[in-house]
Amino acid sequence: MTTLAPPVTPSVAARRNRRRRPRAARSPWLHVAMIPVTLLWLSPIVFVLFVAIRSYDDIAARGLGALPASFSTDGFATALTDGGVLEALGNSVVVTAWAVFLSLALSSVAAYALSRFAIPGRRTILLTMLAGNLLPPQILLVPVAAITEAIGIADTRTALVIVQVGFGIGFYTFVLHGFMRSLPTEVFEAARLDGAGPGGIFWRIVLPLSRPSLAALAALATTWIFNDLIWAMTVLRTESKFPITAALLNLQGGFASAWNVVAAGSLIAAIPTAIVFFMFQKQFVSGLLVGANK
Amino acid sequence: MSQRTTISRPGLTRRELLAGGVTLGAAGLLAACVGTTSGGGGGGGASTGAVTLQNSIQEADPKAALEALVKAYPGGDVTMNSVATEQFRAQLTNYLRSGDAPEVLSWYAGSVARSYAEEGLLLDVSPLWEGDGACAGFSDALRGLSTDAEGKQIFVPTSYYWWSVFYKKSAFEKWGVEPPTSWDEFHALCENLSGQGIAPMTNGLSSTPWMASGWFDYLNLRVNGAQYHRELLAGEHAFNDPEVVDVMEEYKRLIPYFDKNMVSYTSQDAATPMAQDESAMYLTGAFVTSYFPEDQRDDLDFFSVPVINDSVPTAEEAPTDGFFAAANSDNHQGALDLLSYLASAESQQQYIEESKSSNLPTSPDVDTSSFSPLVQKGIELLSNTEEITQFFNRDSSDALQATADTALTRFLAEPENMKSILDEWQTAAEGVFAS
Repeated sequence: MTTLAPPVTPSVAARRNRRRRPRAARSPWLHVAMIPVTLLWLSPIVFVLFVAIRSYDDIAARGLGALPASFSTDGFATALTDGGVLEALGNSVVVTAWAVFLSLALSSVAAYALSRFAIPGRRTILLTMLAGNLLPPQILLVPVAAITEAIGIADTRTALVIVQVGFGIGFYTFVLHGFMRSLPTEVFEAARLDGAGPGGIFWRIVLPLSRPSLAALAALATTWIFNDLIWAMTVLRTESKFPITAALLNLQGGFASAWNVVAAGSLIAAIPTAIVFFMFQKQFVSGLLVGANK
Repeated sequence: MSQRTTISRPGLTRRELLAGGVTLGAAGLLAACVGTTSGGGGGGGASTGAVTLQNSIQEADPKAALEALVKAYPGGDVTMNSVATEQFRAQLTNYLRSGDAPEVLSWYAGSVARSYAEEGLLLDVSPLWEGDGACAGFSDALRGLSTDAEGKQIFVPTSYYWWSVFYKKSAFEKWGVEPPTSWDEFHALCENLSGQGIAPMTNGLSSTPWMASGWFDYLNLRVNGAQYHRELLAGEHAFNDPEVVDVMEEYKRLIPYFDKNMVSYTSQDAATPMAQDESAMYLTGAFVTSYFPEDQRDDLDFFSVPVINDSVPTAEEAPTDGFFAAANSDNHQGALDLLSYLASAESQQQYIEESKSSNLPTSPDVDTSSFSPLVQKGIELLSNTEEITQFFNRDSSDALQATADTALTRFLAEPENMKSILDEWQTAAEGVFAS
């Protein structure tokens, strides 16, 4: 695969360049329409930024919506020190990394087996896995709390990883199953003729070919797990193990909220997901189409 | 062909790597499970005095004050976990039912604590209320509030706050008005302020719809009295009774005086027009002080909602906060020790001073002379009143609060449909009491 790739890319790039030039002449109208839409889209973030750099007294005296009349980095300082945002970010990163890795590893194996072997009742297995995803998580909160309690892993980050893997795996398997089933049979026959066993085919053929869909799922799973709150609150109860989402809630007061601290904490919390997004931008877009071209 | 060889050669080692990686990962996970179970069990069995304090305190200053208190605790290690109030509320049952429950938890006195006690989830803390225990000198009202159906004490109240109509002294001076002493004067004051183009009252109902119950509670306390109010919330009267209709008629007269934007404000946002002198008064809890910029907090003052029906005893709302202990925890003695420490007069005094909030101590032995004039006035208000209630949800349940939120929000938007709204409220309340 890698040996084939280099000669292809320049020609594609060249073709794209050639095509892009005539389009560029027509595109101003697209930009005229898109720039205001983009600004509108960015306005909530700008609003949060404005709140984050104001002092509490300014917000209390003039309201949340007013333009900044003060500049202070107190919000960021408080969020990072008293709010424990950094520690919580660390927890989130660890949990997310393990959960994404494990769920993709397990679901790719499952999808390979379900799509390429005549397992009895595989359709039922797949649909059961998917059906689990259709249940609203809220009705499973109490059972999950009771189960983690019963097997003695309650209040550990391991439990959170297991729960995340358990609830993600159905959807990931379903998507990967669709993708792996569409791989041409000829590739498998050729590999088998060359003496590759099922494990070899998975490792050397299926996984490399599934890389685009794996990357797309990894990008989606990272944001889902990173932004999860409900499972974290169900499984964990020690503050030092809380992920960033729970820490942000703690920044909010019961009766009175220091909005500048909350806004600053939210901005800090958004950085890792933003990094993941920019790294996997292409996969995100294809991830949205996952399953559409099955 | 060359492609095949390049793939197959490193393949073997890669497969081994993968297998090794999976085994390692699984082993790590297993080890983590085992590690935590044995760790938890060992810590409990040894009974080293290690105690977990699960609390729902979110505000920065009170949280720091509690942390300082806990750090100074001489009786052993305390792990303090703060969880956002709404999440804490949702998880509280799980915490209490857990086999290794946190020893001490913060929550509200009253019916909520009692319903957990009925399920046998709370530790009997009566030793603290007897002899020279930390709570022995607390008032009878507090003792009653902390006692379950069987007569055991299951709650340790450590602070409370009061509700009143708050206003800014400087603003009242600017507008040339005085705090009212009678219900007619209150209406005259509202008329006067409206005439000056000022919204007489502010409120915040958007994400805090329960704020609408503040006026309902007070009008019911003033029109029908505390006894009727408690019975109503316990399901002994109907929400479409003529007594409640009288209350709603009074409420209806107030509607034109509220800030027109109150449905889009939260309870916190609602203080902003007051900070800018665009609205004048706010019926709310003493936590309102933290809504204002630092330099306006000393300007705040309050008056009690004036008497409407002078044949009913005076009453004020004073929600009580404190701690209870889980029956399922490993370290009952540790829990009682920590509760004694938190309830002591010295701890209460330190907490109130450091938390910078307008909380009142529950212990009669606290030296209050150093507290702010506002807090002193709050203490006087509560010690001169004949009856004390909590707040709608604390006197009933969160489920009944939800019916009140629906009914009162609708009533404020369409007061002309008051009768049908009260009928629906009663139906919803019957559903809550039946469940």
